[in-house]
Amino acid sequence: MATYAEMREIYEDITRDFRYEHELNGCLNCGICTATCPSAHFYDYSPREIVQLLWTENVEQVYDAMQEKIWACAQCMTCAARCPFKNSPGGLVAIMREVAIKHGMQSAKDVLRPFGRVMLKLITTGNQLSPDMIQPDHFPDWGPNIQKVEGDLKTLRKAIPVKTLQTTDTAWETSLKTSVEMYTIWEDTGVLRQLETMDENLFDVIQDFIEEKREEYDEWLEERQAAKAD
Amino acid sequence: MSTTEPKGIAGHGAFFQPTNLAPEDAERATAWVRKHVDRRQLDLGERMDDVRDHMWELERDGEIIVHRISDDHQPVVVKTLFGWDKRIPTAQLWHHKSCGQCGNIPGYPTSLLWTMNELGMVPGKDYLDETDQTSCTAWNYHGSGIGNVESLAAVFLRNFHQAYVSGAKLGHRPGHFFPLVHCATSFGNYKEIRKYLIERPELRERVKKILGKLGRLVDGKLVIPEEVVHYSEWVHVMRNAIASKLQKIDVSKLRVTVHMACHYNKMVHEDAIYDPEVLGGHRAATGTGVAQALGAQVIDYSTWYDCCGFGFRHIISEREFTRSFTIDRKIKVAREEANADLMLGIDTGCVTTMDKNQWIGRAHAQQYSVPIMADIQFAALACGADPFKIVQLQWHSSPCEEVVEKMGLSWAESKQRFEEYLQAVKAGRIEYLYDPRLADSMSRAA
Amino acid sequence: MSDAILIVGGGPTGLSAAHAVASIGRRAVLVEKEQLLGGAPILSGYAKLVPSGEWAKDAIGRMVKRVEDSTLATVHRGCKVAGVEGDHGRFVATLSNGASVEAGAIILATGFTHFDAVNKPEWGFGTFEDVVTTTQVEQMVAAGKIACPSDGRTPERVAILLCVGSRDRQIGREWCSKICCTVSTNLAIEIRELSPATDVYIYYMDIRTFGLYEDKFYWRSQEEFRTKFVKARIAEVTMGPDKRLLVKGEDTLVKRPIVIPFDLVVHAIGMDPNELNPEIARVFGVELEKHGFLEKGEHYTSSFASTRRGIYVGGSALGPEDIDTCISHGLAMAMRAVGDLNALGERKAA
Repeated sequence: MATYAEMREIYEDITRDFRYEHELNGCLNCGICTATCPSAHFYDYSPREIVQLLWTENVEQVYDAMQEKIWACAQCMTCAARCPFKNSPGGLVAIMREVAIKHGMQSAKDVLRPFGRVMLKLITTGNQLSPDMIQPDHFPDWGPNIQKVEGDLKTLRKAIPVKTLQTTDTAWETSLKTSVEMYTIWEDTGVLRQLETMDENLFDVIQDFIEEKREEYDEWLEERQAAKAD
Repeated sequence: MSTTEPKGIAGHGAFFQPTNLAPEDAERATAWVRKHVDRRQLDLGERMDDVRDHMWELERDGEIIVHRISDDHQPVVVKTLFGWDKRIPTAQLWHHKSCGQCGNIPGYPTSLLWTMNELGMVPGKDYLDETDQTSCTAWNYHGSGIGNVESLAAVFLRNFHQAYVSGAKLGHRPGHFFPLVHCATSFGNYKEIRKYLIERPELRERVKKILGKLGRLVDGKLVIPEEVVHYSEWVHVMRNAIASKLQKIDVSKLRVTVHMACHYNKMVHEDAIYDPEVLGGHRAATGTGVAQALGAQVIDYSTWYDCCGFGFRHIISEREFTRSFTIDRKIKVAREEANADLMLGIDTGCVTTMDKNQWIGRAHAQQYSVPIMADIQFAALACGADPFKIVQLQWHSSPCEEVVEKMGLSWAESKQRFEEYLQAVKAGRIEYLYDPRLADSMSRAA
Repeated sequence: MSDAILIVGGGPTGLSAAHAVASIGRRAVLVEKEQLLGGAPILSGYAKLVPSGEWAKDAIGRMVKRVEDSTLATVHRGCKVAGVEGDHGRFVATLSNGASVEAGAIILATGFTHFDAVNKPEWGFGTFEDVVTTTQVEQMVAAGKIACPSDGRTPERVAILLCVGSRDRQIGREWCSKICCTVSTNLAIEIRELSPATDVYIYYMDIRTFGLYEDKFYWRSQEEFRTKFVKARIAEVTMGPDKRLLVKGEDTLVKRPIVIPFDLVVHAIGMDPNELNPEIARVFGVELEKHGFLEKGEHYTSSFASTRRGIYVGGSALGPEDIDTCISHGLAMAMRAVGDLNALGERKAA
């Protein structure tokens, strides 16, 4: 349970984000955002409510909403397209999610745990999904027809007539240089730090992987220099 | 006009009749229609801001370099929501691939490249697909909140810088290849990021340092593309060429529903194609345009505007939501209300969601099924592409074999041919749509 | 110096100004671009005006007749002012029919343009026949029958969507069009009078039946006519399998998303600046304010002044306005025009 001061700090973190004043101009309480929100039709969730809580500086209920409610949003941005005030409740939710992660909220960790596989793939390869993740036993509720031709994944992927797609562990083949550039971006923009807050074990795995790849790249560079010198 | 035409009832009927009006009267009789249609372009005066105006200002001030769409890119002009112009390059394109497409729906990008080849575009000159591309990372960001505006912006600029310089290794000038974004989420995300970059000098400064570290500046400046272009916009402006030059199969008996991707037309919604020739300009045009150009019957349905329920995170870890939403608001409606033979999407997430979440309906006594594929997969099929080798429909869970058969193709034969091809693949005899060496970014990198 | 006053626009504002000028003993020259006088209430076929309940053609018709019968008023129909030269005290206006008009002062009563609902396509106008505007319902009331355009049936359920083209940053129209709440509640009453079996729902963000209109329209439409009000701005209008329109919103007071079928959907369209305002600004050398309406002076001591001396602006040319107030503006501008000319004459004589 957080103190009021902590909740206030979290609230202010949200309002300090440079996108906040763009995305919350005021509210006419017209409900068009909730009208059009897919999550509002399914969950006990209402973008209008989120906006109202933020706008009226309801620090405690904003903190509450950051436990589960903000994770209901499907980020479709229909709210932003319809709002007569040109607010973006979906955009505000994205800010709130970042802040929840920054503060290491347990609810964020719980919510993100199943996403670990995707994040590992993304941070290490720059790709998000890979063919070897979409196998019948990984997502059984997608049914047995996930692949209508018998065969091993490798061959089936080689049967795609596009060179970059003939991979199994990434969606497309990314060059080593590309991956290494990504690591600099993750580091310098604080994303790796975010990840450390969320899941230390995952972070360690990723750090090892990054080091390995960087070494590989440095070696490749050396070889090239050597080849040029000859 | 033939005088042997049937005269209908009391001279009225569905045939043209000369009005014999004097020119001024004719003009007056029809001027109100033109006036009405013209007013679809709202007078917004200074009350609406086009971020591209500021982009050009920034370039004039020496802050950024704009990757231009030149005549070499053979651009076609379209109108967006408020009647603004947008230029869609149709040649010399750099393929910005989609994770979900390449991972799950490989027939999606393959159909696009195949169609480009069929239109006579030359790989290495008219398009490039290479390994030096990262995911836009927006799926992750919107799903998990891991990431921030800076990381998204750095990724945007890194990829688009690569697009800008990618032609060098093939002897082309900078800016030869213009980026074509395959995924609607990438598209929406990049439009948003572009806006932040143009409006916030602090963001530009921070990101510039990172790009500088990567050696990804040109003359010390950030490179920003003149337009952010989605592949479905390319398909849209090429739809008549595809239909007239390439189409081999008559699809006029097919009932098709179109699902519009939220991230195409709701994220930065002023930048999406609204075409008076498609749906009266009342709804975003891509997807529908090509289906109509191919001659299919496009059927409207009551939940056209609804999201598919992909949700980014939801499809992986809130699966009840995704499948309830997609079955209830999309699949069931397409099946029962529209009686569709096929549902088309223009985005990775939508196609994945709708395709993969039909079977599970049985667990809830909701057994609806509709074949799902992308607009470009459908177009490729109609133009004679092999359902397995090119359109790669074997990865689709929804009953695409049904629509393939309805198009007069034999699923079983195509499957058999493909299985034979698999043997060839195992033996190392692999076919390619473009010379595989073109994909290699590293060996020719400076 | 010319003692005539040129009045541009023959709607309620212009008609009021023309008669007022004549009643003070000055000559009024009225120029109207359409062939008919009366402005929007006549040209768009309004039925009964609010708050009086009088038929538009009777009430405005009386105003037209008064001007036509006046010996001091001249009317030019079917033409516009093409150019203006001169100054306060002596303007020379060239009309598009070739005529030339000398006037000491000019009153701009050029009015507004109805918002074209086709610019909010997600609300169905232009896609579905049974989505209509308040203006079209006025025409139905005038014809004595409420019917669905698609098949002529009497609608069981009618939805009126307020603020179409108003209070909406998405389309650069951040103003309130002032009168649509009153007009819509009035239409709800008229629909129920003509078709007692029809249910009317009004979807609103706020209800602005100001002043004495509150009980006369908002309360009365509920108490006597059972109109239902839902505080919800509608997101989209589509069509269901039974061909009825589906209206999608959030009932913000009950806090639940709703999708409701209706037979007829009515857009309460707003008042846009006159689409000819850029031309008017150019021809008369006056400025527009930020929303696109004509700019006016400070109201305390320079009421109804435009940005050019000797030219006055009022009525819905200034912004959304109700008819009664427009008529008052006409009277006020006549007084300003004549008063200023008198003062100018005295200064010149001195």
